[in-house]
Amino acid sequence: MSNATLDGKSISSEDAYEQAAKILQEASFPLVAGLGADVAGAQAAILLAERLRGAFDHLASRDSLTDLEVLRSAGVFVTTPNEARVRADLVLLVGPGLQSYWPGIFDRLALDKETIHGGTSKRRVLWIGPKRNEAKLDGVEIETIAATEQDLAGVLGALRARVGGRPAALAPAALKKIDAAAEALRAARFGVAVWAAAGLDPLIVEMLQGMIADLNVTTRFTGVPIGGRSGATGVLQASAWMTGFPPRTGFGRGYPEHDTWRFEASRLVDSGEADAALWISAYDGEAPPWESDDIPLITLGPPGSAPKRGLFIAVGKPGENYDAVEFAQETSSLVLRRAGAPAELPTVAEAIAAISAKFSEDLPC
Amino acid sequence: MKPLLFTLKAEPDQRLDLSLLTPDRLVGRSAKEIEGISIGTTRETVTVGDLFKVRLGEATSVRFDGGSDRFDLLGAKLLPGFEIHVEGDVGAQLGRSAKGGTITVAGDAGPYAASQSAGALIDIYGDAGDFLGGPLAGEIPGMSGGRVIVRGSVGARCGDRLRRGIIIVEGDAGDDLGSRAIAGTIIVLGEAGERIGYLNKRASIVLSEQRALGPTYVDCGAHNLGFAKLFAKSLAPESRGASRLLSGRLQRFAGDTAVYGKGEILVPA
Repeated sequence: MSNATLDGKSISSEDAYEQAAKILQEASFPLVAGLGADVAGAQAAILLAERLRGAFDHLASRDSLTDLEVLRSAGVFVTTPNEARVRADLVLLVGPGLQSYWPGIFDRLALDKETIHGGTSKRRVLWIGPKRNEAKLDGVEIETIAATEQDLAGVLGALRARVGGRPAALAPAALKKIDAAAEALRAARFGVAVWAAAGLDPLIVEMLQGMIADLNVTTRFTGVPIGGRSGATGVLQASAWMTGFPPRTGFGRGYPEHDTWRFEASRLVDSGEADAALWISAYDGEAPPWESDDIPLITLGPPGSAPKRGLFIAVGKPGENYDAVEFAQETSSLVLRRAGAPAELPTVAEAIAAISAKFSEDLPC
Repeated sequence: MKPLLFTLKAEPDQRLDLSLLTPDRLVGRSAKEIEGISIGTTRETVTVGDLFKVRLGEATSVRFDGGSDRFDLLGAKLLPGFEIHVEGDVGAQLGRSAKGGTITVAGDAGPYAASQSAGALIDIYGDAGDFLGGPLAGEIPGMSGGRVIVRGSVGARCGDRLRRGIIIVEGDAGDDLGSRAIAGTIIVLGEAGERIGYLNKRASIVLSEQRALGPTYVDCGAHNLGFAKLFAKSLAPESRGASRLLSGRLQRFAGDTAVYGKGEILVPA
């Protein structure tokens, strides 16, 4: 059985590669987006964008750029989850749904165990703005500071103000609670804040990191970010070492230009500036975010994720159907994941190589 | 004398980089030379002559008849003493890093208008997009001088990391007005969105109506501010609404106390 379809109908892989090459080669400004792939797949996709003089974006770049924005315009304190595990005597959890972004987070941080290089034996755990009934963990006493998604930014701002001894316009009861939390943060010997950019925005992360910087005047305090889905952090690193920039970079003029607004995938498609798209989502077959149906579309995804429209080529899941290098949240580094369930499917890099092999000679550059 | 005139012949099918078409960079060039300037941003080459009819004129002034939301970087790095007028819309980064001069846009502007502008006088008669005056991704300060007036409305994060200068919005402002502002003045005559002045260090944000602010703005009471009245007088020729707003008694809220608390939000008392 073929693993390729055109508008939902099965076609041979050879035909699929041929047609994909034709679509991409004929476009004036093609978009390579999604990029839900391992490092080799991302490298192949970025090289393809460069060769076609198109642009590339990752499906979770909103999240990785949220953290990156704070890093590059303000500065951040971060450490690895393992360092947090052995040193933190206070853990500050920020925002709702942390476990949904990284299911293994609380095990990795060992919140229920004692600090190894700590001094104080019992960790304190504070959570600002958890979802209802979320702040429960066996063997851990979590102190919560309630905040809805709308007032999380304000609560965090008030906390930072009180950490610095500046006034906040709050009712006495609320102020007392914030003051107690501020005192706990100041008393920490090695504090760690944990957040997921997917649930926050750049200003909230900047506020949090600003507070961490303030706390570092008198104690040690740092952060553990939970990265974006579908390999976002690994792709960000690959993009950086290949082009000097994160995703949302274009090669229209023959050299990489980074613009978070101009090269955002759905804007490029919905504005009609991109005239063909290769969408890669090898982990879970997530659909493209844009609204326009007009654009010629090639999708690389796991079997069964074929969209109704356009060309689809099935690829294996990185680290599951084939050995893959990807970013591991547990260690904050690139690791090789051996395939647990090898399958007769091309890798993302192989599928892109097969498409590129069909380009005619006269492709510029 | 008449300005150097660019008349748009056809809608561009890609984004254009118009940073080379400022009057200071076109001084002494023939029409033929100007028509040969490349302004495309994709592998399809586009030159000025493909899209515009060029008519030479006065050395210090440029006029565009017809605009497009794909006109990026118009008036970038403009120098003092020069002027640009656009009879139409413009795209992203209008007046980007302009050192001075005058830019007027009859239509709408895209995101990052006046980004890192250091002294230009920019008038936008329609609306402007997000990040008016703000820095681009990865840059530290935003607009550092000059004056921007938007007669329509602006998007989110207006005045982001504003360092110096005046921004007047006669219509409404989106969310996160004056976010991370370092200093300078932002005046909004219409309604402003959520979370005003978040991470504001010491900028002044003036609103036309009382409203709930976050917990990091502290009420300092109503005042007759001498400087505001003086400032109002100087703004009168450019924005009567802004002038009227600043002439009245103002209630002052100090913040963002999460950072320094040396900034302020002023509303009519």
